[in-house]
Amino acid sequence: MTDYAAVASQPVSKPAAWWGMIILIAAEATLFGAFVGTYYYLRFNTVAWPPDGIPRPDVVVPLILLGVLVLSSVPMQIASRAARAGRLARTRLSLVVALVLQSGYFAYEVHDFRDQLHRFDITRDAYTSIYYTLLGADHGHVLLGILFNFWLLWKLARGLTTYRVNAVQAVTWYWHAVNVLTVVVIGTLLSARA
Amino acid sequence: MAIATPPSPAAAETMERLERMWQSRPGVLGWLTTTDHKRIGLLYFWTTLVLFGAGGIEALLIRTQLIAPNQDLVSPSTYDELFTLHGMTMIFFFIIPMTTGAFGNYLLPLMIGARDMAFPRMNALSYWIFLASAIFLYTSLFMGMAPNAGWFDYVPLANRQFNPGSNIDFYCLGIIFNSIASMLTAGQFIVTMFKSRAPGMSFNRMPLFCWAQLAAAFGLLFALPALSADTIFLFLDRNVGTHFFDPSRGGETLLWQHLFWIFGHPEVYILIVPAFGIATSIIPAFTQRRLVAFPLVAIAEILVVFIGFGVWAHHMFATGLPTITLVFFAAATALVVIPSTIQVFAWCMSFVLGLARFKTPLLFIAGFIFMFVTGGLTGIMFIAIPFDQQVTDTYFVVAHFHYIIFGAAVFPIFGGMYYWFPKVTGKLYFELPGQISFWVLFAGTNLLFFPMHIVGLLGMPRRVYTYPDGIGWTAYNLAETIGGYLTLVGILLLLGNLVVSFFRGEPAGPDPWHGPTLEWTISSPPPEYNFAVVPKVTSPYPNWDAADREADRRHLDAGLLVLQRGHEQPAVTPVDARFAEIVEMPHESPWPIVLAFTLSLVFVMLVIHKYGAAGIMGVLCLLALLGWHSKEPQES
Repeated sequence: MTDYAAVASQPVSKPAAWWGMIILIAAEATLFGAFVGTYYYLRFNTVAWPPDGIPRPDVVVPLILLGVLVLSSVPMQIASRAARAGRLARTRLSLVVALVLQSGYFAYEVHDFRDQLHRFDITRDAYTSIYYTLLGADHGHVLLGILFNFWLLWKLARGLTTYRVNAVQAVTWYWHAVNVLTVVVIGTLLSARA
Repeated sequence: MAIATPPSPAAAETMERLERMWQSRPGVLGWLTTTDHKRIGLLYFWTTLVLFGAGGIEALLIRTQLIAPNQDLVSPSTYDELFTLHGMTMIFFFIIPMTTGAFGNYLLPLMIGARDMAFPRMNALSYWIFLASAIFLYTSLFMGMAPNAGWFDYVPLANRQFNPGSNIDFYCLGIIFNSIASMLTAGQFIVTMFKSRAPGMSFNRMPLFCWAQLAAAFGLLFALPALSADTIFLFLDRNVGTHFFDPSRGGETLLWQHLFWIFGHPEVYILIVPAFGIATSIIPAFTQRRLVAFPLVAIAEILVVFIGFGVWAHHMFATGLPTITLVFFAAATALVVIPSTIQVFAWCMSFVLGLARFKTPLLFIAGFIFMFVTGGLTGIMFIAIPFDQQVTDTYFVVAHFHYIIFGAAVFPIFGGMYYWFPKVTGKLYFELPGQISFWVLFAGTNLLFFPMHIVGLLGMPRRVYTYPDGIGWTAYNLAETIGGYLTLVGILLLLGNLVVSFFRGEPAGPDPWHGPTLEWTISSPPPEYNFAVVPKVTSPYPNWDAADREADRRHLDAGLLVLQRGHEQPAVTPVDARFAEIVEMPHESPWPIVLAFTLSLVFVMLVIHKYGAAGIMGVLCLLALLGWHSKEPQES
C-alpha cells in the first residue's frame, strides 16, 4: 500500500487491537503479581534468605543490563509514532535499533542464567525454585517480544497498512509492559540483598 | 416492531444482499472454520451440555454409592476420581463455558447491536481450545489416571510423594489448558463491550446482562492467573523437583491454598454473576417493566466480583491462620451481603411492581431467588469463625455451595434455555411440560441438597467413600439420592421438551415475549449478519422504544446505516459509544482450529514428560500464528 496519507489519518478512539493488548498486559501483570507475591510469601516464611550457601544476587551487571533493556522502550516508541505518521523507513530503523538492544540483553541473560544454574540448581530449595521461575518467566516474555519485532520487520518489508500500524502500536505497548515487568522482577530478586 | 419482515422491496433487496455476503460455507467445513459468534455459541452450548451430562453421571454415581451404608458400587480410588472430576467438570467445563461461552457468545453481540465479537477468530480459537482441553481431561479418565485429589487439589496430597501417577499432571495441565480458553473469552468480552456497541449505547444504556458478563469477564481476567501460577508451581514441584510446597526445603503447603482461593473465591462469583445477568433479562420481559434500580444493580454486579477478590481466606479458617487475619476476612466476607442483597431486593421489587406472568423462564428465576437466598443465608453463617471451623469439610458446606452453584447458577441457565429457545430456534417450547419440569427440578434439588445441611451438622464429612450404619445418617442419604434421581428426571423433562419443541413447536415469530433488548428486534433465528441496519439506541430497553425501531425501518428503507461493502461493523468510543470508525471483520478462518490443535500437542507432550517434543510443538504453534496473520483484513 502506497497511500500513506490514508494511514496517517487519526482515528478518534483507540482500535480494538490496542484494547486487546491492554487486556493481555493486565493478565500478564496479574500472573507476575502472583509470582512476586509467592516470592515474598516464601521469603517471610524463611529465616535465611537467600539460604546459606547461595551467593547473594549480583547488583551491578544486572542493573546495567536492565538499563539497556529499558532503553529499548525509546526506539519502540519512536517506531510506534513513525508508523502512525506513515514514515516507513523511520519505523523500520527504530525497530532494528530496539531489536539490537533487546537481543543483546537476551543473549547475555541466557548466558548468565545457564552460568548460575551451574552454581546452584533449581531443585536446591524454595529460594532457587522461585528465583529461576521468576527469572525464566521474564526471559520468556523478552524472547516473545523479540519474535514479535522480527515478525513486524518481516511484515513491514511490504509497506505500511492500517493493520500493520496497529500491530506496531500493540507490540510497542507489549514492550513497555515487559520492560516494567522486568524492572519489577529484577527489583524483587535483588531485594534478597536487603 | 421487529425488522423480521422487510418493510419495502428496496429493504428486501438490501437484506438479501447482506444474506449472500454473510453466508457461511456449507456443511461441516463451515462449522470448523466459522467465526460467527452465534455458531460458536451453539458449539459451546452443545459441548458444555455433553460435559454437563458427564458431570451429572459422576454425581449420580457418587449419590448411588452413598444411597445406603457400607456400599461398594465403586472402588475408593474410583470414588476419589469421580468427585474430583465432578467438581472440575461442573465448574470449569460446564458453568463457566455455558454462561460465558454459550450464552455470552450467542447473546452479547445481539444485545449490543453488533454483527460479531471484536475478535471473531480469537473467539473460534477459544472454543477449539476449550474443546481440546475437555478431551484432554477426559482422556485421563479412560486411561485410569483422572485427577483424584479433589477439585481444589490440596498439597501435600497432590505431591508426587503421595500421588505418584499422572493424575495430578492431568489436573495441572488440564486447568492451565482450559484457563487459556477462558482468558481468551474474557478478554474478548471486555473489548467487545468496550468497542462494538451500537453507536448511542453508552454504558448507562448497556443491558444488565452485558454488565454481568463484563463483571464476570473482569473476574476471570484477574483470577485465573493466580490459578495458573499455582498449577505451574505444582507441575514444577512434581516433575522438575522444585520445592514451592515442600516445608523441609523452605517451601510452604499453605501457599497452594492461598493462590488457589485467590482464584477460587472470585470464581464463585464468576459462576453466578452471569446467571444474575440472565435473571435481569428474564424479569423485565415477564413483568413488562424496567428493572428496579438499574444503576444500583449494574454497580452491584461489578461490586460482587470486586469484593470477591478480598475474601479468599474464609476458605482457610481451619488452617491455623492468625486470628487477626481470620477476623479481617470474615468482615470482608460480610461485605458481600450488601451488593447481593441490593440485587435480590431489586429483583423482588420488580416482581411486585410489574405484572408478573409466571411462565417457565420466570418460574426458574423465582426458584433461583429462593435457592440463592437460602444458600446465601448459610453463607452468612460461615462468617462466624467458630461455626465455620466446626462445619468445615462437612456436608453442611456441600449443601451451601450446591444451593449457590446449582440453585443460583444452573437454575438461571435452565430459565435462560427456555427464554431464548424461541430466539435461537424460531420455535415456541411447550409451556405446561416446561412448568412441570421446573417443579420437578425444584423438588428434586431441594430434596437432594437440603438434607445435606442436617447430615453435615450431624458430622458427616464430605468426600467420604462410605459410612457405617446406625449413626443417624442413613435416611438423609437415601433422601438425597432420591432427590438426585428426581433432579435427573427434571433435567430430562426439560431437554425432552426442548427437543420435541424444536421439531413440533409453534413458530415463535421474532418477539414472543415482547422482550426488552435488541435481540428481540430481529427475526428468529437471527440472520447471519444480525442487524440489517445499525440500530438506534436511546435506553437500556431498546425493543420497547417504538420510535427508535421505526427509525431503523426508515433507515433500512432508505438504505442508510446498512454497512454493506463487506463484513463491516461500526466501532465506538468505549464510554459514550460515539461512532469512531468502520471496521472490517473476518468471517471465517481455518487457523483457529489449527492453532488449537498444535497447542493440544504441546499439552500432550507435557503430560507424557517429553519436554523437548513439547518445545517443538510450541514452534508449530508459532508457525500457526504466522499463518493466522498472513492475510490481513481488507482495508476499508
